[in-house]
Amino acid sequence: MNYIENTYICLAAPLLLAILCLRADARRSLSFVVAGMTACLLSAYVSAFAAGVTGTDLTSASHEIAPVVEEIMKSLPVLFYLLVFEPKKRIAISGILMVAVGFATFENICFLTSYGSADLLRLLIRGFGTGAMHVVCGMVAAVGIFFLWDQPWLQAVGSFALLCLVITFHALFNIFVNQTGVVFWIGSAIPLTMVLIYLTVFRRKIRFS
Amino acid sequence: MINSINNILQIAVLLICVFIALWRSLRLRSRSWGLLAFFFASWVLGDLYWLFCLLFFEATPQISVVAVLSWYAAYIFLYMFLRQTAPPDGVGERRLLPWLGFVFTFAMAVFFMQRGEYLSNLIYATLMGLLLFASIRRLIYPQNYPTQRPLCIAILILCLLEYGLWTASCFWWEETLVNPYYWFDFLLTASFLLFLPAMKKAVVK
Repeated sequence: MNYIENTYICLAAPLLLAILCLRADARRSLSFVVAGMTACLLSAYVSAFAAGVTGTDLTSASHEIAPVVEEIMKSLPVLFYLLVFEPKKRIAISGILMVAVGFATFENICFLTSYGSADLLRLLIRGFGTGAMHVVCGMVAAVGIFFLWDQPWLQAVGSFALLCLVITFHALFNIFVNQTGVVFWIGSAIPLTMVLIYLTVFRRKIRFS
Repeated sequence: MINSINNILQIAVLLICVFIALWRSLRLRSRSWGLLAFFFASWVLGDLYWLFCLLFFEATPQISVVAVLSWYAAYIFLYMFLRQTAPPDGVGERRLLPWLGFVFTFAMAVFFMQRGEYLSNLIYATLMGLLLFASIRRLIYPQNYPTQRPLCIAILILCLLEYGLWTASCFWWEETLVNPYYWFDFLLTASFLLFLPAMKKAVVK
């Protein structure tokens, strides 16, 4: 049996201490990472509860419940930050990505503790794949929130639509990575490829009028 | 067999549309094309999710919320495009005709509720009602929206084909070409292609 809250405490404790010592950008970034890890921990509880209530088995829950819960939980710290602090665009985008990174990191650690660390190649693919998937979801949300809308009500409705979009993307990724063989490889490669395409081709072009 | 061909064809067309819309969005630095790209992407992700559930688990999802959320998002993106490109004040727009969109969608929702879920049908009725309302209004007041006529016609066709598809699925289930569901779905696939030239006209001028 895994006690992920114990793992969480071990990981979060030094980070929390560092947050107290750091200043400005570094403190903010680290806070987002911890918020992402916390969102991941809470998602596990909520997903397990929802799966129990609906009587869903583990495989189905991974692509029918977990993506919905995880993406909503992941958006909450960002939403709080955006609404309360009204940050600049650059800072908010960094925040969205750092929350995604924190979430992916803790998810990978949970995967490690559940399935062991013997198969390096699989862990490598999964590590990069999951990380890239969460970063892609964060990037899509950031592009949508900050570049597509001006009016506040459009931002609110649009953010909901974007949340729906990233939930489906996440669910598709989960379907693929729960398979074995070529399908697993393809599933992990898709978000990685998207990140690479973004970095090489689109990075300079995403500057909407 | 016909179902798989139908799904694959729709996904292929939508993927092409996503890439074209995304490319134009980046090339022209256009939010409108960006919203259209998001519309196509949401739709195709919902389709892909449904297809892969059938492929890997040989069953439709037990909880269909993920695919449904994706299709909701597609309608929202389309409506947001219409809202974003609306002029600040619609001069003299007080006719009752656009409200027929809501009357139609809610009447259909009552019909579908006898066979399906309540909440999902209400959300679909609201989103489709908004799209129909906005499209009809732009068609009957062309002076306020001079470049959007083709796009509004494309949206109207899309909405009506969707309703044809949903209605057909209530009465016919067999996987043959005789089933009107597939006719509507093939037409729906073709209707996505209408959006590209229509958007080009709406955005360029």
